[in-house]
Parts: sequence; structure tokens; C-alpha cells
Amino acid sequence: MTLLEIRDLNVNYGHIEAIRGISFSVEEGTITTLIGANGAGKTTTLKTISGLRKVHSGSVFFDGKDITNAKPYERVKMGLTQSPEGRRCFPGMTVMENLEMGALLRKDRRSAAYREDLERVFGLFPRLQERVKQAAGTMSGGEQQMLAMGRALMARPRLVLLDEPSMGLAPKLIRQIFSIVDEIKAQGTTVLLVEQNANQALKRSDVAHVLETGKIVRSGPGEKLAADPAVKAAYLGGDV
Amino acid sequence: MRAIKASQLLVVGVASALVLSACAAPADTTEGGSGSTESFSIAYQGPLTGADAKYGEYAKAGIEIALADYAAAYPDGPTVTAIYSDSQGDPAQAPALAADLINNADVLGVVGPAFSGETEATEPAYSEAGLVTVSPSATRVSLSEQGWSTFFRVVANDGAQAPAAAKLLTDVVGAKTVFVIDDASAYGVGLGDGIKDALGDKVIGSDSVEKGSTTDFSATVTKVTASGAEAVYYAGYATDAGLIQKQLTAAGFEGTYASGDGSLESTFIETAGEASEGAYLTAAAGAAGDDFVAKWDALTVSDKGSIGVYSTEAYDAAWVILSGIGEGNTTREDVLAWVAGYDAEGITKHIKFADNGEIDGAGGVYYYLVKDGDFEAPVAID
Amino acid sequence: MEFLIGNFAELTITGLVLGSVYALVALGYTLVYGVLQLINFAHSEVFMWGTYAVVWVLTLLGASGTSSLAGAAGYLAIALVAAVLMSGGVALIVERFAYRRLVRQNAPKYIILISAIGASFVLSEIMGLRDKIAGFLGLQGVLGDYVNNPRNTSTLPVEIKPEPVLQIGNYMVRDTELLIIISALIMMFVLDQFIRRTSFGRQIRAVAQDPEAASLMGANSTNVVRLTFLIGGVMAGVAATLYMIKVGATGFNVGFVLGVKAFTAAVLGGIGNLRGALLGGLILGIAENYASGILGSEWRDVTAFVLLVLVLLVRPSGLLGESLGRARA
Repeated sequence: MTLLEIRDLNVNYGHIEAIRGISFSVEEGTITTLIGANGAGKTTTLKTISGLRKVHSGSVFFDGKDITNAKPYERVKMGLTQSPEGRRCFPGMTVMENLEMGALLRKDRRSAAYREDLERVFGLFPRLQERVKQAAGTMSGGEQQMLAMGRALMARPRLVLLDEPSMGLAPKLIRQIFSIVDEIKAQGTTVLLVEQNANQALKRSDVAHVLETGKIVRSGPGEKLAADPAVKAAYLGGDV
Repeated sequence: MRAIKASQLLVVGVASALVLSACAAPADTTEGGSGSTESFSIAYQGPLTGADAKYGEYAKAGIEIALADYAAAYPDGPTVTAIYSDSQGDPAQAPALAADLINNADVLGVVGPAFSGETEATEPAYSEAGLVTVSPSATRVSLSEQGWSTFFRVVANDGAQAPAAAKLLTDVVGAKTVFVIDDASAYGVGLGDGIKDALGDKVIGSDSVEKGSTTDFSATVTKVTASGAEAVYYAGYATDAGLIQKQLTAAGFEGTYASGDGSLESTFIETAGEASEGAYLTAAAGAAGDDFVAKWDALTVSDKGSIGVYSTEAYDAAWVILSGIGEGNTTREDVLAWVAGYDAEGITKHIKFADNGEIDGAGGVYYYLVKDGDFEAPVAID
Repeated sequence: MEFLIGNFAELTITGLVLGSVYALVALGYTLVYGVLQLINFAHSEVFMWGTYAVVWVLTLLGASGTSSLAGAAGYLAIALVAAVLMSGGVALIVERFAYRRLVRQNAPKYIILISAIGASFVLSEIMGLRDKIAGFLGLQGVLGDYVNNPRNTSTLPVEIKPEPVLQIGNYMVRDTELLIIISALIMMFVLDQFIRRTSFGRQIRAVAQDPEAASLMGANSTNVVRLTFLIGGVMAGVAATLYMIKVGATGFNVGFVLGVKAFTAAVLGGIGNLRGALLGGLILGIAENYASGILGSEWRDVTAFVLLVLVLLVRPSGLLGESLGRARA
């Protein structure tokens, strides 16, 4: 079943065309990845899906509904959350408060389901449980990345957008983060991943798209793209 | 000179036109001949809005009565209207307004400026333009020492008020120690310093508060109560005077509170509330007579102000100018000469000016006691 | 100096009283700054409208004469509700008409600043011209007592007589002074807990720290901004009631000076920081009193701003200077 569908999307920054007519869809229960160089339009695509950027033309469908002009909070309510580029944890809040922010729109914060989700996040990221009372701003980059992902999961989303989760992390941590991405999928949450670390990302993607200057230039199953010589030459140079 | 003659001719011409039209169409007489330039203005410069707006309201009553008297006394004279220029009593706002009045060729004289500070700010320009000003209420002593040819006032200056106020405190109140507060305005400092000079070593403390910059006077109140003074004199304006007295009373001060003409309006009593009972206010202004009140009652203009301190002085100031116009002085130069040479009985006192613009032979200074929420009739201090 | 030492307790207490009012008004500046990084210049008028609500509601209730603080407690409770509703309402109006569209369109900050200054003039002049406005609406006859002489001082119809209740040093503290200081501290405490512990408070902090991330969590930033203005308005309403208990008189132009002082207090404590607003307000109130005592009352404003400059030279972000979100213990 198609959970997210992008149709002929165009997004401008002032007079600059950041996204130029891209279309793709994300099937429920999969990991879909967008790879591409800096400035190719990956982050803009995610921001547009979350409602932070205005669409110039084209449309976005989530779970069969047109959400092109929906407000960000309406999208969160429908089950679409994001762990943004650069983590963007609330630095003055504790880990627990950050996680509670993730569950902002949930009305069941006293329920067993909520406790269960919290346990699930702590299960994925045991470090967070150790640090529930620590201010997010005082944690390491890796810990903040875990917090940002955990926070996005606290809304119990159907689709989570992960923007560059491995950026700036040590190789060991990167492997850990990616295995958690696998686990998120295994637990039934659909993932749309944006990565520069193409090798790790492609390996586990059901579908992947290559973005170049705001256009999708190649699409296919992750493994197949990883084997594509052109993709290899352009994006898989620095393997980990 | 030629221009003056031309205008004088015009006067004759229009006057005859008036007579003619009066014969032809009696209903039109009050309007004068259409197309006539025989219409002039006197202006008032003072506060019509802001914390001191009451002074403008009081002056307006006097000016409107004077205009009515003028129309009755000089039925064939030029039409005169009043322009009310709202300076808010603020020296910073007044110069631009004064410039407007100076540039308005119809304006032959100014009743005002109302306050000392705005007088300092605008009189040089009036003097240069030769536009006569007659103030009903600007009392700072130094105003008459600047050599301004156009400055006149129909009120005794603080040089008269200060010694009288000092006398009130020592002789009537019987205070042996006095605390003097001024509001750092041109008026407040002048009056306050005058009182300090007159009281000498009976002054056991003083403070200066910034007019309009606060409504909390706790530091000043502490100074007064710590000094143990038997009486306080506040040289400043009504709202602050009321707030200070209220806060003094709340802090347990039981001595006598006095203030000057700047506070002599109902705002003082409203602001101080019950604390104002027994307060003394000094002013070089007496009460309005029954005649004056009756005339005010009879006024038909929609906005006729209200009677209060300096209403009668405003009448006298306006009358000095209006009678000049009525007697055929229709240039600024002639009106100025008329005022300088004026010598007649006014309703507050005999009006004749010394060369420096001061009233010749100072009028009396009075005190007003607050009782039952109102000012009692003034009593002369002598 | 001798005077300061001899009257230390009195100058300190009365300084704290005024400082409490500064602090409550400063909260409005600091909250809006924390969330929008904008100075809400119209906040001074939000306070001013609150003082009028106190006068009007007591006039409406027919209060008169003089009363002890305890005797007027019923009136004052109603006045407090009226002032909070009025100031809260005016704050929401400011947000709606002077801010919302411009913020949503990402207008440059200086444009929003000008809009706020404009709103401040409009609010002040509406109060100062209310007789004419009532006249246009044909309501002058009905509203008479409430709109006449709009540019004169309006006084509280019931006069509250302070009673000495507590000896501190050589000063007998008045009941009104005690009430003002304690009320301000309680309001500060309640607000602090609200911001730290509730979901609404957490949203305000989240938007203050990272508006974009907050909206990814589902925070509705329009609602958060509105809530922030409302809280600032409520605090200004409390401040207005306390102010009227102390001063007993207001005018259409009382907002300006008090607003400048409260804004100074907010900057002094660290703008964006709630506890900084409290600290800044209290310090400013006391410092003004000490300086008036030592140098003369005409020096109080000079002192306030010299103090501000000195503090900012040493600590450019103010005494506690951190942002709203970071300002947790």
C-alpha cells in the first residue's frame, strides 16, 4: 500500500528552483532512501513533506489524502514525523522533556500505550534512559541524534522522515544508528531516509532515488542502485 | 507704513460696507460683509490635553467670556475668533506651534504662553516676530528679565508668590521646619528656590523630582518623614502634587502640605483623595466674581471651558488684546504698542505694564484651603 | 549616604514594591521576546488598559469613600479579574492585529517593531480620546463617567488606606506594600511552574528554542504565540491592579515611563529569562530608591540607565541572561 505519494513537486526558494518536478512514492513498511550531493534538494523535499516549505506546484498525498496545504501539526496528527537534519533537539530541555515534546499531540499520555512507546524508544536507545534528566544541549552529537530519532518516534508515527541521521558521527556510531533504522522498520514504522552515507543507506533500502539539482535522475531497489557503476562513481567513493 | 495705511483704508471700507449691508439685509449683520478681510484672531498657547489640561480649560472660559464681551462692546469692530494651540505645556512641543501662530497673519496677539517653561522656549520667536503675548499664568521671575519686547503678564510673578507662600507656612500654618520639593521644571525650580530663600534656615530638607517620570515617590516620602519637617511645600503641578501628598499621608506624615498655583485645580484633590484635606495652595490669583460666573453661564458656544484658577487672568489678558483690536489696532505692531501703553481697570486688578512686561504694582497673593473635597474661597496673604 | 543607612529598610521595602510592578510588566516583554525575538512595545499600553479596568469596574460597582485594604478585598478581587481580562484581551488584540500577519509572512524585524510602536500609540490615544470615540458611536451619554475628561488623571473611586502591619528594621511595612510584594512573588512562582511543568509551558519553551523543530513536533506556533501574549497580558493585569492599590491614579499616558522601566528591568535581568525579569525588576526598583536617597530624586532615571549600561558592559546578556527555554534551574 502506498503511504506517501509525491506528484510532480516543485519548490522554490525565492527565484531559485530547489525542487524541479519530482515524483515518487513510499510504500508502507519499507525503507525508502533519497541520496544525492549537497544542495541536490533532499532536505528541501523532506521539509516540504513535513509542511515547513510551501509547494510551488504539484501535490503531496499521505495515506490517500491530499496534504499539500496541510499545516505541519495536522501532518503530525496524521502520523508523519521527522527527525530533522542537525538533530534540532531542544537544548534547554531534559531528555524526558524532549521525548514528551515528541508526543505533544498525543492525548493518551497517561495510558499504557504511551508507556509502551517510551519503553520502545528506551529499548532502541538505552543511553537515553540513563540520561532522562540531562539537558539535551549538554549531550554528545551521537546522543542527540538518538534523542532526535526517539523524539520523532514518540508520536507513534506511521511514517518517520530521517534527515541525515549519520551526519558527523563516528563510524561505530553510524553502524549503530543504521541498525536502529532497520529495527524501526522491523517494528512496523515506514521510513523515508535522506543520507549522504549512500553505501549504508542503499544496502538496507527497499527503494532508493538519486537526486541531482532538484530532479530524480535514477530510481530502483537499493541493492541494484548500489551496484550501478554511475552511482558508485558519484556517491560511493568514501565507503565505510 | 504704506501697508498699514492701506489696511486702515480697508477698515473704513469694510466698516461702511457693513453699515450698508446692515441696512440692506439686517439678518446678515453678524456675518459681516462677504469677502471681507476684517476678521482677526487671538491665540491661546497652553495645555489643552495632557496632565495639565485643566489650565487650558480654565483659560478657555476666560477667553470665551472676553470674546463675548468684545462682540458686545465693539459691535462694529472686526470679527475676532480664538485659536487654541495645544502645547500640552511642554517646552519641547511649543516652538513648532508658536511658529504656526507667527506664520498665521490673522493672529494679532497671544494669550499665553500658559507655563514658564514653554514661555522660555517660544518667547524669543514671538519677540522677533513682534507678536504680542500676554500670559495669564507664567510666573517664573526670570521671564521678565530677558529683554523680550513682546512679553507681558497680568499675574504677579513667583517673586511675589514665594515670599507670600513662605509667610503662609510660618505665620498661618505656624511651621518651624519646612521640607521643600520642586519638580525640576522652570516653574517649579523658580518657585521652590524662592521659597527656600524666603524661609532661610527653616528649610530642613529638599528634594527634586522629575515631572512626569514616575508616579512613585517613595524615596522623597522617606526623606520627608526622616527629616521630621512640620510642613511640606511642593513647587510643581497638580497630578504629582496629589500623588506626593497621598503617598506622604500613607507613610504616616501628619504635617501640613502646601503647594502653589501649579497645583490649584481639581486634579490635585482627585488624585490625593482624602489626604488633600487641609492642604494649602498659594496663587497670585483671586476668585472669580459672581458676575464672571454669570457671564460664563450665559455663553452659548459649545466648548466654553470651565472656571478655575487663572480664568479671570485669562480674561484680562484676552481683554487687553481684544480692546486694542476693537479700538482699531489691526496690525501686530499697533496691538503691541496698545498693550505696552495699556492703562485701565481689569477684573483682577488695575492693568498697566512696566517696561519689562511685569504688571505694575503686583497684585495680591492668596491661599486656598482644601476643605470637604473642594477649595475654599481664597484668602489674601499679607 | 547617612540618609541611606538610616532609612535602609524603608528605601529597600518601598523599592521592592515598585520593583514588583516592574517585574510583572517585564514578564510580558521577556516572554514575547523569548518566543519571537521581538520587543513588544505595545505591552506598556496593555498595562495601562488594565489600570483603567480597575477604575471602571470599581466605578461600576459604585465603590466610594475610603477603606482599609481588608475592607476593600472584595472590590479588589473583582478589579483583579477585570484587569486581567482587560489586559489579556488587549494583549490578544495586539497579537492579532500588530503581529500575526507580519510574523507569518516572515516580515523583517524592524517592520514588526514599527508595527508594535504604532499599536502602542493607537492604544494610548484610543484611551486618551475615548470621549470622542464614544461620541462617534453615540454612546457618550451612556458611558459618561467612564469616558469624560479622558486626558485627565483618573482616580480609583475607593481610596485604600494602608495600615502598618510589620516592623522591619526601623520601618513599619504597610499592608498594601506586603500585599504587592507577596502577590508579585506568587505570580512569578506560578508562572515559572507553568512554563516548566505544563505541556503548554513546554510548548512555549520549545518554540522559543527552535520554532521549526517545535512545529515538526506538532506545535501550532500561532497558538503558542497567542498564548504567550495572553500570559504577558495576564501578568500586566495583575501588575495594573497592584499598581492601582499603591498609586490609586492612572492616565492614558502612564504606560510609557513604566513600560520603559519594565523593559529595562527585563534587559537587566537577561531578556527572554523569566527569573531575570523578576531579578531585574526588583534590583531596578531598589536601585532607583537608593539613588534618589543619596543623590536626589531627579537622578533616579539616570541611575536606572547607568546601572543598565554598567551591567551590560560586564554581562552583555544581562544578569541571568539566557533564553526562555534555557532558563530552567
